[in-house]
Amino acid sequence: MSENVMVRTASRAAPAPAARRPQGDGSRPRLPSWMSWRAWLPTVVAFGVTATIWQLVATANPFVIPTLEEIWASLAGAPEMYWTNFQVTLNEVAIGATSGIAAGFLLAVVMSEFRIIERVVMPLVVVVMVTPIVAIAPALVVAFGFGMLPKYIVTGLVVFFPMLVNSLAGLRDVDVKALDVFRTLHASRWETFRHLRFPGSMPYVFAGLRIALPMAVVGAAVAEFVAAGQQAGLGSLVTTSAAQANLPVTWASIFLLCAMGILLVCLLALVRKRVLWWSAADVVAR
Amino acid sequence: MTTQTVHDGRPGVRVDNVSKSFGANGSRVTVLDGVSLSIGMGEFVSVIGPSGCGKSTLLKVIAGLVEADEGSVTIDGTSVRSAADGKLIGLVPQSPALLPWRTVLDNVRLPLTVNRKANAGRAVRDPEELLASFGLGAAIHKYPGQLSGGMQQRAAIARAFVFDPSILVMDEPFSALDEMNRDQQRLGLLEFWNSNRKAVLFVTHSVPEAIMLSDRIIVMAAHPGRIAEVIDVGLPRPRTAETYDTAEFRDLERDVRAALHGVMEKAHV
Ligand SMILES: Nc1ncnc2c1ncn2[C@@H]1O[C@H](COP(=O)(O)OP(=O)(O)O)[C@@H](O)[C@H]1O
Ligand SMILES: [Mg+2]
Repeated sequence: MSENVMVRTASRAAPAPAARRPQGDGSRPRLPSWMSWRAWLPTVVAFGVTATIWQLVATANPFVIPTLEEIWASLAGAPEMYWTNFQVTLNEVAIGATSGIAAGFLLAVVMSEFRIIERVVMPLVVVVMVTPIVAIAPALVVAFGFGMLPKYIVTGLVVFFPMLVNSLAGLRDVDVKALDVFRTLHASRWETFRHLRFPGSMPYVFAGLRIALPMAVVGAAVAEFVAAGQQAGLGSLVTTSAAQANLPVTWASIFLLCAMGILLVCLLALVRKRVLWWSAADVVAR
Repeated sequence: MTTQTVHDGRPGVRVDNVSKSFGANGSRVTVLDGVSLSIGMGEFVSVIGPSGCGKSTLLKVIAGLVEADEGSVTIDGTSVRSAADGKLIGLVPQSPALLPWRTVLDNVRLPLTVNRKANAGRAVRDPEELLASFGLGAAIHKYPGQLSGGMQQRAAIARAFVFDPSILVMDEPFSALDEMNRDQQRLGLLEFWNSNRKAVLFVTHSVPEAIMLSDRIIVMAAHPGRIAEVIDVGLPRPRTAETYDTAEFRDLERDVRAALHGVMEKAHV
C-alpha cells in the first residue's frame, strides 16, 4: 500500500516534463524527503510535547487557557459560525494582499526602470512603513468607517513593503553578462524587462511573498481588532470573545488564523515549485 | 580626436586610436591608450595580455557596451551603434549567461525575438541546425541547468552565431572550463568557424589557445592598456589537434611567451 502512495506522489511531485528537472538527471527515483517518517518525527514530537504541556497548564489553570477538548468542542459546536468568520478574514487577506502585492511589485518595476522615481518616492514609502500599522488602523477606521475598506488598506499596507523591497532587489540583481547580450542586440527596454528582468526577479518576488502572506493575515486580524464587534472575521471574534472571557472561542479563532497562514504558505510553496523550478536556491533580499 | 561617421562600406572592424579612462578626475586611470587595430572579414584575431590590461574594456568598446573617450570604431563601415541596431554584433561573454528558464533552443532563438525590426531581410540560421552542428542536437529541449559548462558555453556561442553577425566578440569564453574540455571546445569552435568565416575578436589568457585559433595575435601591455606587439600566425588551416605538435606551433608559442614576458617585465620596473 505504501508502494502505491509512493508512486502516485512521486509523479505528482513532478508536474513539469522530465526535461525540466535539472536535479533528477537520470538517477534512480528516490522517495521525496518529506515522505520519510524520519523527516516528520521531530515535528510530531514537538507538537506532541507542546500539546501535553498545554493540557497540563490548561487543567491546572482553567482561567488562563482552555483545554484542547474545549477548543475542539467549540469548533465542532458551531462550524458554520467559524467558517463564516474564516471566509470574511480570508476575503480581506485575498483582496488586501493581492492589491498590496500588485502595488509593491509595480512600484518596484517603476523604481528600477526610473531611478528618479525611486529617489522621490522611497523616502515617503519608508516613512509610511516605519509607522506602526497598529497605530494607522484606528485612524483608517475613523476615515473610512467600519466597512471592509480600512481592512483592505491595512492588509495591503502590511504586504506592500516586503513586496516592494524584494521585487526591487530582484529586478536589480540582473545577470550583467546576459544584460550585455541584450544590449549588443539593441533589445528595447520592454524586451529586456519582459525576457530578462521580469523572469529573473521571480526568486526574489517569491521570497517576498513568503514574508508577505503570513503578514497579510496579521494585518487583517489587526484591522479587525480595531473595528471589532462591527463586522465578522476571526480577528473580531478574538477580541469580542476575549472581552467576554470566552476562552475556547478566542483560542479556536487564534488556531484558525494560524491555519490560514499555514495554508497560504503551503499554497505558495506549491506555486513556487511550478514557477521557479529553474531556480536552485531560495534567495533573500539584502 | 574626431569621431568618424563616414560609411566607407569597408567590411570588417576598424578601431582607430581608441582611448578610455575610468574614475573621477582626481584618480583617473587610463585603461586604453591609443589602441588601433583592424579585423578583416573572416579574420580571427586574438587579444592576449596580463589581467587588468584592458582586454575586456577593448572588447566592450567594440561591442558598444562601453563608450570610448576618444577615437572611433566602425563595423562594416558603420558606427557600433548602428551595427548593434542591425544586430551585426554577436557577443559571447565570459560566463554563458543563458537564461535558465528557457530551453537551449529558446535561448538560441533569443536574438531573433528581440529587436525584431532588424530581422527584415536577414539571413537567419536555423537554430536547430545550428545547435546540431555544435553537437547539441540532443540537448535542444533541455534547460541550461541540465548541461555541462562546456555545453552551456557552446550554446552561448550558437546564440551569437544565429544571426550571421558581421563580427563575433568573445571574452575568454572557455576560461571557466577544465583543460581537457577547453581544448575540445576550442577545436569545436575552430571547426565551426572554418566553414562560417566571421570576423572574430577573441580575448584569452591562454597562449596555445590564441595560437591555435588565430590569424593574428595582439599582445597588450598594461598601465595604460596598449598594443605592445602583433604576431602573425601563419599556421595553415584547417588546424587540428596535431597542429599542437608541429615545430611551427612551438616556435610561435615561444614568440608569444617572449612577447608576454617583455610586457610583464616592463610592468614591474
Ligand atoms: N566600469 C569600470 N569602472 C572602473 N574601472 C574599470 C571599469 N571596467 C574596468 N575597469 C578597470 O580597468 C582595468 C582593465 O580592466 P579589464 O578591461 O577588465 O581588464 P582585463 O579584461 O584585461 O583583465 C582594470 O584595472 C579595471 O579595474
Ligand atoms: Mg577580462
